[in-house]
Amino acid sequence: MRIVVAEDLYLLRDGMVRLIEACGHQVVATAATGPETLEALLTWRPDVAVVDVRMPPAQSDEGLRAALAARREVPGLPVLVLSQHVEQLYARELLADGAGGVGYFLKESVFDADQFMDALERVAGGGTAMDPAVIAKLLASGSSHRRLAELTEREHSVLGLMAEGLSNQAIGQRLFLSESAISKYTTSMFGKLGITDDDSNNRRVLAVLTYLNRP
Amino acid sequence: MVSWVTSAFVGFARACAVVIVVLSVPAVWAAAVALGIWWGAANPWSWVAPLVLVCGGTLALSRPVCRAVRFLVARWTATVVPAGYRQAEPVVRMSTGFWWNGFSYERTRRDALLDQRWRIRWNDPANWRDLRFTVLAPFTTGVVSAVPPAGVAAAVLGFSQPTPVARLIGVAGSLVAVASAPYAWRSVRPVAVRFLGPSRAMALADRVDELTAQRADTTVAQAAEIRRIERDLHDGAQARLVALGLSLATAEKLMATDPDQAKALMREARVGATASLTELRELVRGINPPVLNERGLVDAVRAFALDSPLEATVSAGPELRLDPPVESAVYFGIAELLTNAVKHAHADRARITLVRDESGLVVAVEDDGGGGAVERAGGGLAGLRRRLAVFDGTLEITSPAGGPTQVRMMVPCASL
Repeated sequence: MRIVVAEDLYLLRDGMVRLIEACGHQVVATAATGPETLEALLTWRPDVAVVDVRMPPAQSDEGLRAALAARREVPGLPVLVLSQHVEQLYARELLADGAGGVGYFLKESVFDADQFMDALERVAGGGTAMDPAVIAKLLASGSSHRRLAELTEREHSVLGLMAEGLSNQAIGQRLFLSESAISKYTTSMFGKLGITDDDSNNRRVLAVLTYLNRP
Repeated sequence: MVSWVTSAFVGFARACAVVIVVLSVPAVWAAAVALGIWWGAANPWSWVAPLVLVCGGTLALSRPVCRAVRFLVARWTATVVPAGYRQAEPVVRMSTGFWWNGFSYERTRRDALLDQRWRIRWNDPANWRDLRFTVLAPFTTGVVSAVPPAGVAAAVLGFSQPTPVARLIGVAGSLVAVASAPYAWRSVRPVAVRFLGPSRAMALADRVDELTAQRADTTVAQAAEIRRIERDLHDGAQARLVALGLSLATAEKLMATDPDQAKALMREARVGATASLTELRELVRGINPPVLNERGLVDAVRAFALDSPLEATVSAGPELRLDPPVESAVYFGIAELLTNAVKHAHADRARITLVRDESGLVVAVEDDGGGGAVERAGGGLAGLRRRLAVFDGTLEITSPAGGPTQVRMMVPCASL
């Protein structure tokens, strides 16, 4: 994959580049500020970009803004946003266009190289990858909590993993269940919540996230 | 007609009251002069006693007169003229057994209270203002208010004599009395407002006291906060990083001899790093929430509302960027209120409104919980009030038992 890395701290940027290259992918460009990020995203049109939220010049949310701006120019441009903290607010903004191809993770998720690479590939393929911390907050927030009261504990955890962007197969592996058992859970769960099941994994995840994002 | 007659009678009574209160000091002066004349003007010593009487009488009467005028004005016109007298500090017993009253140590509590009372009485800047008013008032509102009673006196005197001139004076006097009765007493209000309120010096002295107390509060709170951060870092992240370094050092040693053990140690180190990052994140959020820095107050409140178990709606005017310290105080205020709504009031919904108008920033937080919020010394709401007071901000809480709770925080423009 051709990847752009946008991160202002040299050590982290360097480490990330080394990790990505060690996994056999190519880093085509790096950026250290918001404007640089936007320019790199639009000129290189990478298969996926890793973008830090807080960057110079203002040390506010330049990275996120650059990612959102690039996705307005190139709809569905795959972006994985990394941050020291995760906020539902930012997750909602990233998901708002409904185009998929977004990821949102805590920076420490790069500690687990396999999972990080898996998430990068999912995002590059137009899927979504959300940090478990974001999903936990999304599931616990006021309106979702009430609507999800009907779900069994198992269905709840399946929904959580699905919202993180995992496929039925991956969810099965995590929960030590067969893929068919998972699809049984999803069917009953979707029935309870009134979401129409979709064959496409990506569209299904987006439907779940949209459902959770509803005010 | 009836109402005019009542207002004339009421006005006459009020004018008499003003005259009695305000002219009591000139009455003392007149009595002193009369005393001097009666004792004989030739003897120079006979002037000493009246002089003492004038000075002592004026000093002693100034405060009761001012209090009475303030009371009458408040009662008749609902205009409250602030008194601004200096308040006594509590007298406390020190470990030495002596009593401290804010000025000096005394052997007994009674002495301490007495000493304090006299010191405050003599050093109060309000004394000068009171004296000025007692001297000025007879010549302003005193003279004006005396018109209706003087008219009545002229009428009584005039009608008691049979001559036509006296009758004429009587008629004129009663006309003047009737015409001026509803209005004469009203002169007391402007005079009281102008001369009886706290002077600029007194207002400044009050403000200095207030700011000194606030500064002490802020310093204490800040020191406590820094201690908390230091402790959290020391016990949390620092300790974890030491453990991390140890694990890595051991793993390095074991790499050649026992690779499996080394791998396990490195996994452990990774878990440790994640844990210390989580701890640091929580700490940072408590010091200054990152969203506040990245997006400003409104989005930070939105983010907090999204994370809270309440169904909270946030409405705000466009472009609400304030000074970072104010944003931080207001953010933590809202966070405190929403946490209370969940924890104590068991609310399901909350509404947060942030409005900036020409007077300042107004934040309203309402919930549908059980109400009954009480402000306790040292509690969260008292702390919130203190944090807002630094910016001259105010806090209003309406929380009847059974709910709902409505809280308004206001920060004036000058602080924004």
